[in-house]
Amino acid sequence: MNSLALRVVLGIACASAPMVMAGGWVRGAGKRLEKIEAGEAVADDADEGEVAIATAADEGYCSGDLRKILRRVLQSCGLMGSGEVRGCQPVQAKSVATMTGEDFNALFLPLSQRAGIIQFDKDSAELDAADSTLLDKLFADQRGASYFFVVARSSPEGSAEHNRELSQKRADAVMGRLRSVFNDPDLDREVGMLWLGEEYAQLDQDFCSWSRSGAADKCKPKDINRSAFVAWIDCRL
Amino acid sequence: MPPGIRGRDRYHGPAMPGRLHIAIFVLACLAGVAFASVSTFDFAQHLDRQVHDLHCSFIPGQRTAAVDGEAVGCQVTLMSPYSSVLRTRIWGGLPISLPGMAVFAFLVFRGFDLLGRRGLARRRAAGWLFAFSFVPLLTSAVMGGIALLELDAVCKVCIGIYGASLVAVLAAGLAYASCRRVIDEPEADSAPARLAGNGVWALVGLAQLGAFVGVPSLGYMGLMPDYSRYVGTCGKLADTDDAGGVMVALDQNAGGAPAVEVFDPLCPACRAFDRRLAASGLAARLHRRAVLFPLDDTCNWMVEGAVHPGACTISEAILCADGGKLGPTSTAVIDWAFEAQENLRTAAKTDATAPRRLVSERFPELAACIGSAEVQQRLNKSLRWAVSHSIPVLTPQLYVGGVKLCPEDTDLGLEYSLTGLLERRGTP
Repeated sequence: MNSLALRVVLGIACASAPMVMAGGWVRGAGKRLEKIEAGEAVADDADEGEVAIATAADEGYCSGDLRKILRRVLQSCGLMGSGEVRGCQPVQAKSVATMTGEDFNALFLPLSQRAGIIQFDKDSAELDAADSTLLDKLFADQRGASYFFVVARSSPEGSAEHNRELSQKRADAVMGRLRSVFNDPDLDREVGMLWLGEEYAQLDQDFCSWSRSGAADKCKPKDINRSAFVAWIDCRL
Repeated sequence: MPPGIRGRDRYHGPAMPGRLHIAIFVLACLAGVAFASVSTFDFAQHLDRQVHDLHCSFIPGQRTAAVDGEAVGCQVTLMSPYSSVLRTRIWGGLPISLPGMAVFAFLVFRGFDLLGRRGLARRRAAGWLFAFSFVPLLTSAVMGGIALLELDAVCKVCIGIYGASLVAVLAAGLAYASCRRVIDEPEADSAPARLAGNGVWALVGLAQLGAFVGVPSLGYMGLMPDYSRYVGTCGKLADTDDAGGVMVALDQNAGGAPAVEVFDPLCPACRAFDRRLAASGLAARLHRRAVLFPLDDTCNWMVEGAVHPGACTISEAILCADGGKLGPTSTAVIDWAFEAQENLRTAAKTDATAPRRLVSERFPELAACIGSAEVQQRLNKSLRWAVSHSIPVLTPQLYVGGVKLCPEDTDLGLEYSLTGLLERRGTP
C-alpha cells in the first residue's frame, strides 16, 4: 500500500471513529426511549421512585367512625354533594352521630393538638378578645387539613330549645368571625358546624387541659360546655 | 501532497526531526479523544430523557454516582446551556464534545500523517499541525472560562480535555520548532509562491477538519429520535387562576406566555432550573408566576421529614416580600435564597430558627412578617393550591399556558421543549 493510500485509510478510520461511536450511542438512547414508551423496564443506573401526587393530610386517627360523622356533617351542611351554596341546617346531632355522646367525644380525643375550646359567657354568643385570638390562631394553622369542625354546646341552664338556639348562635358567631377575618374562598367548603345544645355529648373536665379561651379556673362542666369546640380534621374522605 | 514542494527542501539534521514531540502530540490527542468521547457518551445517554450517572474522573471511563459531590461539577457543566449548540432546534442540542472528539481525531490523523512526511513537507505539515492544535486549546480556554466564571463548576472530564489540548499545543509547537531548526524554506521561493503553497495547505487542512467535524455532527442530528411527540403530553392544570392569591410574580413580562412555576427556594434543582431558564433566553418570552411548594415538613404535610430544611421559613419571606410593600421584592429574596441555599439548609439542620434569623438579618424589613398568621396561611393556601390541582410532589415544575413542561425536559431538553410549547401557543 503506498503512502497516499495509507493516509486515506488512516484518515477515514480517524474520521469515522466519532461518527460510529456517537451514532451507536444515539441509536442506543433511541431504543431505550422506545422501550420506555412501551412501558418496558430499562436498565437504568439511577433509581427513580414513583412521584406522589399532592393530597390533603390523612392522619392515623381518621377512623371509620370519624369519617362517617365527618361525611354526615358535611352532607348535612351542604359541603359535599351538589356544590350549591352552603347552608348548614339544624340537625339532630344524635341521628348524625348514631352513637353515644361519650363515644362521639372520644372520636375527637386524638385532636388535642389541633383543637381548641372557645368558651362563651353565660347565655352569650359573643366572642371576646381571648376567644377571637384562640380561634384565629387555630384556624390559621390549617396545614393539610381539609375540614374545620365547629361543635357548639351550651350548659344545661334554661330550656333545651333555648340552648339549642344558643349553641347555634355560638356556632354562627365562630363562622362569622372566620368569614370576617380570613379571606378564604374555600371557607364554605371547609367549615362544618354542629350545634348540640345541652342534649348530647357534653364535654367533661378532661377537656380542661386542652387549649381554651376561658380563664384557668373557669372549667367546671357548665363553663366548658358554654363553648364551641373547634378543630381542624386531618382526614380525607 | 500540495504541488511545488517535493524535492525543494534542504536538510541539515536528523531525517525525522520532532519525532518524539509528534508522538507526545498524538498521545495527547488520543487522550483528548478519550475524554471528549466520555463526555459525548454521558451526553448521549441522556437522550432517553432519563437520569444517568456520569463519568467524572481524570481516568476516562471511570463512573461516578450522580449524587456524589465530585460529580456535581460535571453535572452542572453537562446540563448547562453551554454544553451544546442548536438547543432549540434539536432536543438537548449538539454536544460540543462531539466536534471536540472530531477535532482531536483530526489532529491524531494529522499527527500520524506528519510522522510519514519528510523534508519541507514535514516542516510545513508541522506548522499547520501547530496552527490547528490551537483549535481545541482556544475552545478549551473559552469553555474553561465559562465553567469558572459563569457556572462556578469544575468538571474533571473537561479538565482532561483542557489538559490534553494544552499538551497537544506544546508538543506540536516543539515539533514545529524542531522541523524549523533542521529544514529550511527554499530561498528561491518568492513570497507569493510561499503564500500560495501555504494557502493550499490551509485549504486542504480546513477541508479535512470540516469533514471530520461535519460528518459526525450531521450523523448525530440525523439519528436523533423525534422528540416533538413528547411536547405538551405531560398533563395540564385544570385552571391557572389565582383565586386564593397564592402566586408570586417573578417578572414584569405582562406580554409573555402565562407560566406557573412550582418551586422550593431551597431546592438545588430549582436553582439550577432557574439558571438554565435564564441562560436559555426563553424566560423573556414567559410571564412567570411562582407557586411556592417548600419540601419541608414544618409546613408541608405531603413530605416525610424536611427534604430542604428551612424552606418553609424562606417561602414565608418570599411571600412577605411579594409586591415590595415592605421594601425588598420577592425576586430579591429568591435570588438571595438561591445564592445562600447550602448555608441555609445546613444551618436549619442544627438550628430550626436559623433560617428565620438569617433571612431577617439580610432583609430586616421582613422580620415582623415572617412567622405571622397571615403569611403562614398564605403559604398554606399555596400548598393547598397544589392539592386542588393534583400536581406531583416535585420541584421544579413549569406550566406554560397551563400545559406542563415534562420533568424529563427541564434540563437538557429545556430549550427544545419549551420552544415547542411556546410555538404551539403561538407566542412570539
